Amino acid sequence: MNMEIEDIRGTFKPETIPKETTGDINDYEEALHVLMKFVGYMSSSLEQVSGRGANAIVYQAGKRMGHDAGKMVEKTDDLEKAMNELSEILGIEFVFEMWKPSGQEDYTIEKGDETIVKLLFMDCVVRQTLRRTGLPQKGPLCYLLYGYMVGAVEEVMSIKGKLDIDHVGSNACLKTLTIKWGGK
Amino acid sequence: MVEILIDEDACVGCGSCVDDCPNDVYKMNEEKWKTEVVNLEDCMACLSCHEICPAQAMEHRDIHVAKRLYIDRKVTDVLEKII
Repeated sequence: MNMEIEDIRGTFKPETIPKETTGDINDYEEALHVLMKFVGYMSSSLEQVSGRGANAIVYQAGKRMGHDAGKMVEKTDDLEKAMNELSEILGIEFVFEMWKPSGQEDYTIEKGDETIVKLLFMDCVVRQTLRRTGLPQKGPLCYLLYGYMVGAVEEVMSIKGKLDIDHVGSNACLKTLTIKWGGK
Repeated sequence: MVEILIDEDACVGCGSCVDDCPNDVYKMNEEKWKTEVVNLEDCMACLSCHEICPAQAMEHRDIHVAKRLYIDRKVTDVLEKII
């Protein structure tokens, strides 16, 4: 296959802060696909080497990301408000909304010292990556999102949380977020 | 509002969508032995039913279609030339 690689020549000074990146949208697309493949292979290799321990490693990575993302949001005790704010922070790559079955009145369910809310993830970079590399859903990489959400919620609300996967689909995934009141 | 169309001529009545849907959106019509939509308001457009349907008998309208960043355009370009 003949590939033409453009040689970009210019001057580089350490004190110069570049105002824009070089390259066009095709370069970004290619970089995204390489990264998707890399992450996909890394995930399956982790699973091969560490077995179920892979889930914990990826979960921890996601949790760190979530804690960092959560720092950009104002702290609140209101779960619905936290979800709306997080939805903005987590950005267009993790588009989600609260979901409830038609027979249920509110989005949140109170159960003792726990509050439960169902989240519908519509756009998800993890799902895109899995599809790019032909990996099944619900594997270790899905724990990245699990950790991410839990980390972000813990950061914003200063409580403990967990996220369970209810259902995975090619276009959307339903998860249940349970938060436990009473601090960390 | 989501709209689901079932192509009754295509539906083979395997019931895969009925079993797979987590929100019981579908039910098997036992007279026609075809799938029918009985709980449209609970459809969350996960499209698992599309993945599992062997006859591609379904169509969802007015849903959020997730981005398809995973599609490699170079591969689809080659496929288009072959097909």
